[in-house]
Formats: sequence, structure tokens, C-alpha cells
Amino acid sequence: MEHELNYRTDLWIDWCPGCGNFGILAAVTRAMKDLRLDPSKTVVVSGIGCSGKIPHYINVNGVHTLHGRAIPFATGIKIANPDLTILVHGGDGDLLGIGAGHFVALGRRNLDIVVMLHNNGVYGLTKGQASPTLPLNSKTKGLNLPNIQGSVNPIALALASGYTFVARGYAFDGNHLSELIKKAIQHRGAAFIDILQPCVTFNDIYTADFYRKAIYKLEGEEGWDPVVREPAETEEKILRAMRKAMEWGEKIPIGIFYENPAITTFEDRLSDILRGSYPKKSPSKSVIEKDGKSIFNAEIFEELFKDFIIEVKG
Amino acid sequence: MKEINIIIGGPQGSGIETSMSILSRAFTRKGYGIIASREYFSNIVGRHSYIVMRASSEKLPQSIDLPVQIIAASDAETVFTHFDEIRGGGALIYDINNEKKKLNEVPSMENITKQRIRRKLESKGLDQAVSSIIEYLRKEEGIKPIGIDFASILSELSKKFKLDPGHLSRYVSTILVSSISTVIGLEDDYLLFGITSHFKNRENILKHNLALYEMVSERLHSMKEILPLDTPKLKIEKMMVLTGNDAVAIGKIVGGARYQAYYPITPAADESTTLEKYGHGTEGNQDIGPIVILQTEDEISAISSTIGAALTGARSSTATSGPGFDLMVEALSWAGANEVPIVITYYQRGGPSTGQPTRGSQSDLMNAIFSSHGEFARIVISSGDHEEAILDAAEAFNLAEKFQVPVIHLLDKFLANTTASVKIPDIEKIRIERGSIFRNGGEYRRFDASNSISPRAFIGDDGIVIWYSGDEHDEIGHIVEDPENRIKMYEKRMKKLELIRKEVPLNEKLKVYGFEDPEFIIIGWGSTKGVAVEALESAAKEVGVRGAYVNLKMLWPFPSEELKEIVGKISEKKIIVAEHSYEANIARLMAMEAGLNVGGKIVKYTGRPFFLSEFYRALKSILFDNEEKVVLTLGA
Repeated sequence: MEHELNYRTDLWIDWCPGCGNFGILAAVTRAMKDLRLDPSKTVVVSGIGCSGKIPHYINVNGVHTLHGRAIPFATGIKIANPDLTILVHGGDGDLLGIGAGHFVALGRRNLDIVVMLHNNGVYGLTKGQASPTLPLNSKTKGLNLPNIQGSVNPIALALASGYTFVARGYAFDGNHLSELIKKAIQHRGAAFIDILQPCVTFNDIYTADFYRKAIYKLEGEEGWDPVVREPAETEEKILRAMRKAMEWGEKIPIGIFYENPAITTFEDRLSDILRGSYPKKSPSKSVIEKDGKSIFNAEIFEELFKDFIIEVKG
Repeated sequence: MKEINIIIGGPQGSGIETSMSILSRAFTRKGYGIIASREYFSNIVGRHSYIVMRASSEKLPQSIDLPVQIIAASDAETVFTHFDEIRGGGALIYDINNEKKKLNEVPSMENITKQRIRRKLESKGLDQAVSSIIEYLRKEEGIKPIGIDFASILSELSKKFKLDPGHLSRYVSTILVSSISTVIGLEDDYLLFGITSHFKNRENILKHNLALYEMVSERLHSMKEILPLDTPKLKIEKMMVLTGNDAVAIGKIVGGARYQAYYPITPAADESTTLEKYGHGTEGNQDIGPIVILQTEDEISAISSTIGAALTGARSSTATSGPGFDLMVEALSWAGANEVPIVITYYQRGGPSTGQPTRGSQSDLMNAIFSSHGEFARIVISSGDHEEAILDAAEAFNLAEKFQVPVIHLLDKFLANTTASVKIPDIEKIRIERGSIFRNGGEYRRFDASNSISPRAFIGDDGIVIWYSGDEHDEIGHIVEDPENRIKMYEKRMKKLELIRKEVPLNEKLKVYGFEDPEFIIIGWGSTKGVAVEALESAAKEVGVRGAYVNLKMLWPFPSEELKEIVGKISEKKIIVAEHSYEANIARLMAMEAGLNVGGKIVKYTGRPFFLSEFYRALKSILFDNEEKVVLTLGA
């Protein structure tokens, strides 16, 4: 495309002023611009909640789905048309609460999708209930009583599930975040970015001020190399990433935790079992009719289904 | 005999399905029409499993019946369970090593069943051993006991081929089918064909089974043709032998399915297995598919990914049964809101809850029609038999894409697990209609409200950007809560129901069988068709009353006007419904949608299929004895 692409729609954005989502929106559209993604070949798929509205603000294909189900919708889209670049945006309730099973399943498949977790620790749109990432005993201002459920560790869960690109970004470090998003898009396989995101209205613990003090960058650590360069390194790199994932509180790492380009993608696996016809012939790109008729004639039908056909020899 | 009914029983996992396959193939090879239903527990190994088969020399049978002429029992439990389902003059094939076995020595039988059978035996003055039942059947019912020493035959086989004694039980099914074949006088070639075509590509097993057949038929020389079956008179040169699950899979392949997602559940999963096997590759110069089959982490993911695939233009479907469908309904509503063409193949089984997972039911009619929050257009269709299932599975995609609505293809366990011989369907008749597709270029509005059906573009089309949202949206697909827009979009979606009523041809809404000037009418849907149509034939032949059967194919939107026209002048008392449920929900739907009342109901909720003779008796008691509701209970 020759002209400058505008990746933003002109809709008024109805997030609270100061919401971390603005930072994420800016970073993702910047990544799209830098990579010159074709809007008609790019799809943003979201769940429900504040983060769920993001597709409407981005000028690429947008599918605003159900609470927790962005990943399965995205899975169908990607498998059916593997040429597309798919970005899933979900909240912490979305991806790790109601949709946690799908989150795990995507890791197992290693389908080439980018998942971005808008991680703010609360259910904002329903007035601030505790989300699956809010630590035990926290009492954010929307809660009457302290949280009596523990939190899940998104990075550790992604690693355990089999994501082959696992990173964390911060909503208000736009440059860093958009670089992570670009790398995640360029990675072949299931990529996950945990995006720390202040909720200005309901989370008075994990504020912008808190994160500014706590976060540090992994790439600044001496000797930090998250990339698996040969299969033998896999276990070691996962264990190191797991150890880093356990850091929380006063020091919180952001950056790439783990990257393994050597694991087969789901598309590769499909290609194997479908004897190479996929992805060249994908579900969205194969002929199903000729002049309004099935591609089957009686001869092909009887040959394909010969196991079911019996010639009578009475 | 013009036709024969057979029960083959044994423990689950002992090759009962293999017996069904071999015998079905053998009968069909000679030109008989067959139908065979399979009953089994939710269990992998050990519980009682059996098939009821009917083979006819005159027609393609549409229903099964009890009592049978032959029972072939691989274990004592089969004898205990089915001894009163055999006709006088019939034959009981059994293992003589089980003769001494007593009822309380059958651990796999449920206690409640044991008690029931004990009472039955006591009432006939029998003690509780197999030998006592056999003696009773021989003396009182004139039934020929055919005792076979399974152990000695298997040990002979084992010696001959040096087989591992631990693996011998897998040959039991061949003893059973070989015996049946001998008793009815099926020539060697046919059973050998059945064995060969079932075990093809498994050379060794095939060799053993062929030898086994020789051994059994030699030992049963004196029993040869004691229950002879007439030579078939059907003039069909080629037949398909398949299950309902196979039929749907075949229909989907021909109909252009390209994506199917499913979560394993009985009795739907076999359909996806068949799709996996035949849905890709090449045949001659023709590429098949490929159809991507995705086993998902749950049914929510199955339907959600099916919707996702449909958005890219792929014909997409999922298959499930009641519990799985319940998980899908939120996403069904999303598909309704976003006008996405998907097909949900819904095989009913016994509910509520886990219910009877391997038994049949038609109690989910209302669930298929009314589940999901909010109002939106959907289509619910059903199929009466295997041939319909093939054609309907293909047509479901046309309906979905023409009207841009979710289509539920409502089937049941009975059809799914019934094997039948059918004529090869006329494939050239199958149309692929993709509905209105956007090809103009330029600005695209997915939900262009100038028409109820807006042209579809697909995600990934060059130069087009599309938005979808489960929220109420404008023509572009962005969230809008404005009341006027709400009215416009709401009406656009709901008006499809009228359009569907208007445009779907009559023969896809309902089909009528039987007499053109009937004195009574049976109304039903799905797998009820076969037994109802044959009961009409019996009524005409035996008591001289003319009946018709209305096979309701489109259940939603309900074809009220068409049904009213057919029912016409028939008095309310002579309108009968039949359904596998307690309530006969179809009667409620008829009352609600067409203002039609019914005079009689034939229902069954044991989870076992309708048998022809019990159905016919129920029909007569409604027609002649003023019964209003007959609850059927036949079958173990």
C-alpha cells in the first residue's frame, strides 16, 4: 500500500480518561503501522469488557465476541484462513477466568495467533470485582472485603500451556510494548503478551505510580537470552522463564521471557495430517461447487465412499 | 420367510458391532434390505450390548421389530435378558458352556434388572439357570436350541493358527454370524464376503475368521437352513450400508463442509471420525476437501471456532448432543445476532442431565427451537432416515448461507447408531447455494439494512474491512444503542423468519406418506418416520384403514399453514402424534404455532427404539379403543 494507512477508526473512545487501554491501543496500532499490515488481512478478535471494545477503534477487521471466547473464535478464523494475521485482545477475567480453558488449549496447539492480556486485576465494566490476577488478600476500592481467592500467574500459565512466545509489557511504556507486539506478530506460533494495565477507576493498588517504580526490563539484565536456539536448551530456558515469572511486587520484569521458534505450529501439523493439501487449500480457499452443483459426480462419490457401497450379487 | 428378525447379544467390547457389520454386508451382498439398531451401555467393556436386525427379501425395511426369529447369544446375560423376545418356532444360538450359569452369577447385570428377570422366571416356574430357560423355550415355545461349544471351537482355531489364548474372545462374533448364516441358509459366498469386506487389509485376522466360518458351518451341518429366508426380490444393483452418523458425514462432505469442530460426546463423535477419514485427499482427478476437523477443549470452543471459520467463508459445522448443545447456546445467540451461517448437527440422547448417554430420545425439540437469550431467526430441520440425512446434511449449509442464520440439524441416537441399507442417493441433484455474496468492491457494510439478507463478504477479502459484534450494532458492525437503529436491525434479523417460511420449498418443510385420502394422520419428525410409515402399511393391510404420515422436516420456523392444509378435514380425534418423549412436544408446538389439537399420542421414553408391532398396536388402540396416550415400553 502506497498511501499512509490510518489504523484508527473515528469512533469516540469510551474508556475512562487515563485508562491503560489507551496505551495498549496506541502501541498495537503503531505496531500495525510499522509492519504495514494490510487491514483486510488482519483481524482483531476480542472478548467482553472494556478491552472487548478495542476492535471498534482499530481500522482492521474486527470481531467482538463473547466473554472468554475470543481465542476459540480466533482459532476458527485462523485455521480457516491461515493467511490472516490474528490479534486477540482479552481481559484478565476474559482470558484467565471464564476463558482459561481456551487459553491453555491455544498453547497446546501453538496456532500462529497473538494473544494480548489486558491485565488490570479487576472486572472494570461491572464495577471493580476481583479478577483472576488480583493477589490474595488485596482489597481494591471496588471490593467490600479483601480478595479471598488467589491469583493465577499469567506468564507461568502460558509457559506451562506451551505458548512459544511469552512476554510481558506495560501499557504506558508504548515504545517497548509496540516492539513486543511486533515481535509477537512476527513469531510463528502462539504468542502471549501479559500487558500490565492500570485501571484508574477501580484498582487503587496496581496504579501507574506503582508500576513506574516496580517494573524493570529483562533485556537490560546481563546475559538474559530468552530464545531457544536449539532443542536441547528448551527445558533450561523454560525453567529460567518460570523463575522470572515468579518475581512480583517490588520488582516486576517486563520484556520477552521465552521464545521458541522450533516447535511446529498447528498449521504445520494440519499440513502433515492433511498430506500437504493444507494450507494451500484452506477451508476458506478451496472449491466447493461448480455452477451451483456439488463438485461430486456419481463416479467420484462411489469411488470415495466405496467402503459403504455393496454391489449386489444375488 | 419373507423376512427375518435377529438379536445378537454379548458383552460390550466382544465384537457385537463387528457381527452387525459382517451380517449387514452379507445380507446386502445377496440383495436383502437390512436395518439394524444397536443398544449399549455407557461403558467400554463388559456391559450387555445387543443389536436388533431385520432383513427383508421384499423391501428396504424401515423399522425393527420384536419378537425375533433368531437370538444369537455369546453369553448367559443375553439369554436371560432376551429369552422372552423370541418367537415360537425360532432358534436360540448359544454357548453350551453357559448352560449351568445362574442369574446371580452374571455380575455385569444391574441388580434391578436381575430382580425383574427373577420375577419373570419365577412366574413361569423356571429355576434360575440358562439350561432351565432353554428347556422351557424348547418345550413350551417350540424354539430350536442350537448349542455350540465355543471353547472347543476356539481352542481348535487357536491350535491351528498358534493364536494367543488371551486373544480368542475377539473371534466370538464370527461364531455367532456363521451360525446365523447357516441356520437361515445363506450360501457360503455371502458370509465370506461379509467377513472379507469387514476385515479387509487385515490378512491374518481374515484368514482366521474364514477358517472359523468353515468350522462352525461344518459343526452345524444338521441345522443348515432350518429357518430358510426367501430369495431377495428387490431389484437394486448397488446399495450403501451405513450408520446415521456416516450418512451425515457423507452429506457434509458432498455439501462442501470445510471446517468441523467438535468435542467428543456420544452419540455424535462417530460423525467426526468418518469426516476425518473421508474428508481429504484425492479421488481420481478430484481433490477432496480438505475438511479441517478440530477436536476442541469443550463445546463452547467447538461452536465459537465454527463461527470464526464461517466468517472467512468456509462452510462450517459442529456436531454434538444435548449436554454439549446446552453449552453452545450463548454462542448460538452470537451467530443469530451476527447473521452467521453455521450448521449444528444435534443428536438427541436421553436427558435430563447426563441422562442415558447411549440411549435414544426426541425430547430436545423445544431446546433446539427456543434455547438462547434474545430473539433471532434460526432454522431447525430433521431427517427421517439415512437417505434424508445425507441430503439434509448438505442442504443445511444452503439454508444457513441463503438466509444467513444458524441451522440446527436435529437428529437422534436411534438414527445415529442404526445401520441400514439404502439406495445410493442421486448426488447430481445436490445443489450448492451460497446465497447473496458481495462482489462489487467499494464500500462494504456487512449489515446493510436495505434488505433482510445483506450480501456477505468474507474476512480476508481483498480491500475490505468488516466488523462483527455481539452488541447491537449499526450497518458497519460497530456498537450502537440508538433506539431507531435498534428497531432497524432487530426487524432486519427477525424478518428472516417470514422469508424462510416463504422461500423454503414445501418438500423441505414436510413430506407426506401413505394414502392421499386418509382417515387418520400420524404426525412426527426425525427417526419416527420409518416405524410410522410401516405401521400405516400394516393398518391398511390388516384392518383396512387408510392412514397418512406427515414427516415434519422443518421444525422451525414451523410450517403451520402447510400442515393445516394437509390435516384439513381430518377430525381432531384422528390426528395422532408420535415422539420419543414424555410430553410429545410436537403436539405443543402444533397447538402453539398452528392451533392444531391432537387426538392421540404415541410416546416412549425408555430410551429404546420404537418396535413396529408395539407401535402398530398403539395405533390401533388409539383408532379403535379411544385411547388418548399410549406409552410404549418394549425392549431390554
